[in-house]
Amino acid sequence: MTASAQINSIDEVIQALAGMGYQADRRLATAVFLSLRLQRPLLLEGEPGVGKTELAKMLAKVLSRPLIRLQCYDGMEQREALYEWNHAAQLLHMRAAQSRSDIDTIEQEIYQEKYLIRRPLLQALQEPAPGAVLLIDEVDRADEPFEAFLLEFLGEYQVSIPEIGTQHAVAMPVTILTSNRTRDLHDAIKRRCLFHWMDYPERERELAIVRAQVPMASEALTLQIATFVARLRSQPYSNAFQRGPGISESIEWAKALVSLNTLILDPEVIHDTAGILFTQREDLAALAPLVNELLTPE
Amino acid sequence: MQLGDARSGKLTDNLSGFARALRRAGVPIDSSRIALAVTSLQEVGLSRKDDVKHALECVFVNRNQDQEVFNELFDAYFRDPEITQKLLSQMLPKAKDANSQTKRRARVQEALSSVGKTAATSHKKDLNIDFDAAMTASDRKRLRHADFQSLSASEFLLVEKLVKEIPFELPVIQGRRVVSHSKGQQLDWQKVMRETQRFGGEVLYLPRLRRKPQSLPLLLLVDVSGSMERYARLMLTFLHQATRKSPRAVFAFGTQLTDLRAAFKMPDSDKMLEMVNSTVNDFAGGTLLGEALGELRSNHSRLVVGRRTVVVLISDGLDTGSGEILSKNLSWLKQRCRSLLWLNPLLRFDAYSPLAQGAVQLHHHADAMLAIHNLSKLEELANSIAQLLKK
Repeated sequence: MTASAQINSIDEVIQALAGMGYQADRRLATAVFLSLRLQRPLLLEGEPGVGKTELAKMLAKVLSRPLIRLQCYDGMEQREALYEWNHAAQLLHMRAAQSRSDIDTIEQEIYQEKYLIRRPLLQALQEPAPGAVLLIDEVDRADEPFEAFLLEFLGEYQVSIPEIGTQHAVAMPVTILTSNRTRDLHDAIKRRCLFHWMDYPERERELAIVRAQVPMASEALTLQIATFVARLRSQPYSNAFQRGPGISESIEWAKALVSLNTLILDPEVIHDTAGILFTQREDLAALAPLVNELLTPE
Repeated sequence: MQLGDARSGKLTDNLSGFARALRRAGVPIDSSRIALAVTSLQEVGLSRKDDVKHALECVFVNRNQDQEVFNELFDAYFRDPEITQKLLSQMLPKAKDANSQTKRRARVQEALSSVGKTAATSHKKDLNIDFDAAMTASDRKRLRHADFQSLSASEFLLVEKLVKEIPFELPVIQGRRVVSHSKGQQLDWQKVMRETQRFGGEVLYLPRLRRKPQSLPLLLLVDVSGSMERYARLMLTFLHQATRKSPRAVFAFGTQLTDLRAAFKMPDSDKMLEMVNSTVNDFAGGTLLGEALGELRSNHSRLVVGRRTVVVLISDGLDTGSGEILSKNLSWLKQRCRSLLWLNPLLRFDAYSPLAQGAVQLHHHADAMLAIHNLSKLEELANSIAQLLKK
């Protein structure tokens, strides 16, 4: 059964994701729905901590497909992303077989599938139906030659391994690419994908997220957290900080506050736990004088 | 809403009209996207306007900066496509022809022809109007345009000669990619296998791999304020030619920051100077290095990500801005780049020490400083930049 058979409308996407504890707005759900239906990769861009990677994980659960993750980094090569031969084992086999068979047979033997080390992209192609959810994480960190290779992969969903032949996708994987925009991706790769810019959630959605992720927190505290973080991200306060807290930060913060048995936010407890919301010294220093102002109700 | 049913083909018409409008507003869209948009609307259905909007958004928009344009244009277009067309036609006189085939042509035509008449008199001005009215040139502080002349033949030859003769070592690091090399560190297993097959399973030699040197990105910040006026032209020309092999970003600054990356993409130095002339607005004015760096920080911070960039700052450090802002932004830059190099052309006396406010800050933050007596001789300039990059 394919994904498109399971999910037939945008509302179903929202419901299914919410069932897993992921609150998607309608805009995001539309993008996900289209990506499933049109079998196009979905490129998610946005600030760190807005739930890009999380979406792929949840999608895998919703579709009950395995999640295959390719974490990109600078200098990544095809052999780390696609496949590699197990050369050491091949050499051993060759030495062992030398005395009993001729060269042609040995050659055939060493390029068997058992000597092939499958890396994420090949795994995703060979995953039997219903296919995998392929997460290509932080694609902006890989360098441009890799991007060119990815382009080919995403266009055709097939790779050719010279010794074995062309490998086609057994079932089309659902592909999610994420980027933090440390650099601009090439237009060609964007053309292959559907694009979605993920923003920080509005207060209500954040409230729902924190509620779902940290059920131990009291309702009053959850409300305060969501309001406080939403105000941190809004004008004019956001100007004071280099990088505002993402959703993952507010969830971590809520968890920390619960384990400290906090019932209600006060300047002291914020001061003690601000290290979770902000990771830069300058931001922490900028927060201190604003706390009282941020806590006063509008 | 003007979206009719798909059978009559009105949907496709509407969509391609909308796509054309977006394209005219500067959003890159090709025809395959339009086809994709039609399919995605068939999937999503036309019952809810916000679904239609979201679906079109993820198909048509692929940069964050286009989002606003899309939102506004979508709302305007699907309220009344013709208003949008008219608005857009006013922006670009060229759009008149593309429009002439729409329905209810006479009325639009009439409206357009009157626009055309006024447009003809101020043709040149109209071409400059951006879609985003907030950023039109008139809002900017315009002090003085640079007026670099194009290079004379002898100057051109001199620059070319210098680029060839001066050993200009652009900074490189050992990259993560590997190439075949006899003295490499890693074994090339794939090649071992290939060679072994050739010799009947015998390993005769071990091919090796070496990490491929990779040039580091350069960020060149060139002072074009009054005190640096004399040097700017040849300096830019030399940098343009000499740093060609590295990925580079070039900015000029005086009282504000000017992005010269587009100009430096020109293969020809004269073309580059021409473009610099038209983009630099604060030539030979004051220096507000701190503010210029602040602008770099807020708008182009992605250029110095990952601590790889080598920043070369060419300035005399005679800064008139606030020392606090300068210090804050310099330490930000310092934290994010691989090295911050400062070329200071103010050393007129042997006993020079950085006393001016900006110079003190720069001296404190820069990884290396090179002070030279005189920049007017291109040889000296070229030599000193090369020397600085070695540091």
